[in-house]
Amino acid sequence: MKNILTFQNVNYFYQTKDDEIFALNNVSFDIEEKSFVSLVGPSGCGKTTILSLTAGLLTPSSGKILLDGEESIDTKKIGYMFQKDFLFEWRSVWKNISLGLEIQKPKNLDEKLAFAEELLKKYDLFAFKDQKPRSLSGGMRQRVALIRTLALEPKLLLLDEPFSALDYQTRLTLCDDVHSIIKSEEKTAILVTHDISEALSMSDKILVLSNRPATVKDTIFPNLAGKTPLKRRENEEFGKLFDNIWRQLIYDKTEEKN
Amino acid sequence: MTKQKKKIENEQNQFSKKEKEIQKTRKNPPKMHKNKKEIKEIKNFSKSHQLFVKRLRRDKFVIVFFRIFVLAAFLGLWELLTYTNVIDPFFISSPSRIISQIVLLAKDGTLWGHAWVTLYETLIGFAIATVLGYIIAVLLWWNEKVRKVFEPYIVVLNSLPKIALGPVIILWVGAGTNAIVLMCVLICIVITTMSMLSAFLSVEEGKILLLKSMNANKFQIFFKLVLPSAMPEFVSVLKINVGMSWVGSIMGEYLTSKAGLGYLIVYGGQIFKIDLVMAATFILCILAFGMYYFVSLLEKKYNPKTKS
Repeated sequence: MKNILTFQNVNYFYQTKDDEIFALNNVSFDIEEKSFVSLVGPSGCGKTTILSLTAGLLTPSSGKILLDGEESIDTKKIGYMFQKDFLFEWRSVWKNISLGLEIQKPKNLDEKLAFAEELLKKYDLFAFKDQKPRSLSGGMRQRVALIRTLALEPKLLLLDEPFSALDYQTRLTLCDDVHSIIKSEEKTAILVTHDISEALSMSDKILVLSNRPATVKDTIFPNLAGKTPLKRRENEEFGKLFDNIWRQLIYDKTEEKN
Repeated sequence: MTKQKKKIENEQNQFSKKEKEIQKTRKNPPKMHKNKKEIKEIKNFSKSHQLFVKRLRRDKFVIVFFRIFVLAAFLGLWELLTYTNVIDPFFISSPSRIISQIVLLAKDGTLWGHAWVTLYETLIGFAIATVLGYIIAVLLWWNEKVRKVFEPYIVVLNSLPKIALGPVIILWVGAGTNAIVLMCVLICIVITTMSMLSAFLSVEEGKILLLKSMNANKFQIFFKLVLPSAMPEFVSVLKINVGMSWVGSIMGEYLTSKAGLGYLIVYGGQIFKIDLVMAATFILCILAFGMYYFVSLLEKKYNPKTKS
C-alpha cells in the first residue's frame, strides 16, 4: 500500500515570550492509504501538534512531512474534525454541511453538492436537513460535523478527540458509526485520543507517544477480529493490548516524577 | 357474537391505524419547533396541567393589572395633589396641565416641528454612529497591530465625558444641527466600537481554525462566521444606542439650538413654565420608546439564544 503521510525526523518547538517549548522530538512514522491510525499518549504530549503540522496550520522546525508524496501540504486533501462539533447555530444542517463547499467554490460545485446530499441520505440525517443544529443530539451533531468534513472529499481525515465531549453510550455508538462511515468511504484517518480502548477498537495501527517532547515510543497493530469497534472490544487480546499500552503511559508518568 | 366480533375488529383496525401513524412519524420525524396553532391542536393535557396553565394566565393578568394600576395611581395622586393645591402646580405641573399644553402646542403646529427636529437629529446621529462605529470595529478586528495601537486611546475616549467637547464642537462645525448630530455621534460611537470589537474577538478560536482548515480567507472568516455570530451583540448595541442617541441630541440641543424638544425644555425652564418642560419630556418619552420598540422587533429576529 502507498503511504499517504510520512513524518521524517520532525522536530517542533513552540515559541513563547520567555521560553521555547520542545514539543516533538524526532518524530517519524508512515501512514498507509485507507488505514485507520490512532495516536495515544499522555495529555499535553503533542498529539494535537502532530495534527496541526499535518494540516499545515503549523510548519515543522526541522524534518520533513510528506503528504501524498509531496512536501508542500495541500490543505484541500485534509479534513479536520475537532473535539467540539463547531456547527454554526444560525445555519441549517444542510447549510452547515455545504459550508466548506461555499468557501472553496470548486468548479464542479453541483456534483459536490449532490455528493453531500447523498452522504446525508446515506447516514440518516436527510430528514433533519432544514433544521437548526440546536435541535439535534450530541451524537447527531458530531455526525453532521463528520459529513461536513467528508463533503470536501479529503484524502486524509484528522480526528482530534471527536468523541471526548460526549457521554459514554453515545460515544460507543458514534465510534461504530464513524468507523463504518470512514471505512465505507475508503478514507484514511488519524485519530487523536487519550482513550486507549477507543484507539484499540477502532484502529489498524496505534502510535504510542511519550511525554513531551513526544517521540514515537511504540507502534502497535491491534489486528483484532470483529467487524465493528464494539465487537472488537469483546476480543480476548483486547485486555492484553490495553494493559500493554496502559503500562507504557503510566511508566512515562512515574519517570517524569523521578 | 357478531357484535363482539365487530367490536374486536374495530379495535384491531384502530390499532393498525395507530401503528401506521407511528410508522409515518418514524419516517418523517416531526418538526422540533411546532408553531402555536399546532400546539393548540394537540392540547389534550391532564387536569393538573390545565390548572398550571390557568395559574400562569392569572399571574400574567395580575402583573398587567398592577402595571396599569401603578401608572393610574401615580397620575391620579399627582392630579389630586395639584388640584387641591397641596402642592403648587407651578413647580411640578400636573397631568391635566401637561395634556392641555400638548394640545396647545399641537394646535399652533409647533409641536410637530419641534418633535421632528429632535427625531431627525437623533436618527441621523444614531445611524452615523452605528455604521461608523461598526466599521471601525471591523478594521480593528482585522489588524491586530492597529488594534493594539489604538486600544488605550479608545479606553480614554470612552471614559471622557463627551459633553466636555461641546464648545470645541461648536467651534468646528458651527452652532446648530451639525453640532447636535456630532454630539450624538460622539456619544454613541465609542461604545459601539468597543462592544462590537469585543463581540468579534469572542468568537470561538476553534471555529476560526475550522474555517482555516477549509482554506477560508479572512473575508470569508468575517462574513461566514464573525459577522453572524456577533449579530445578537449588534442588536444589543442598537438598543443601547437608542438610549444614548437621545441623550446626545438633547444634550446637543441644550448646548446650541433654535428648535427641538431639548430646546423647549431649556426654554420652558428659563421662563418657569414647567408645563412646557413636562410636555416636551412626555413627548420625548413616547418617541424614545417608539424607537426602542422598532429595535426590539429586530431582536426577535436575531434571537440571542442562537448564540452558541
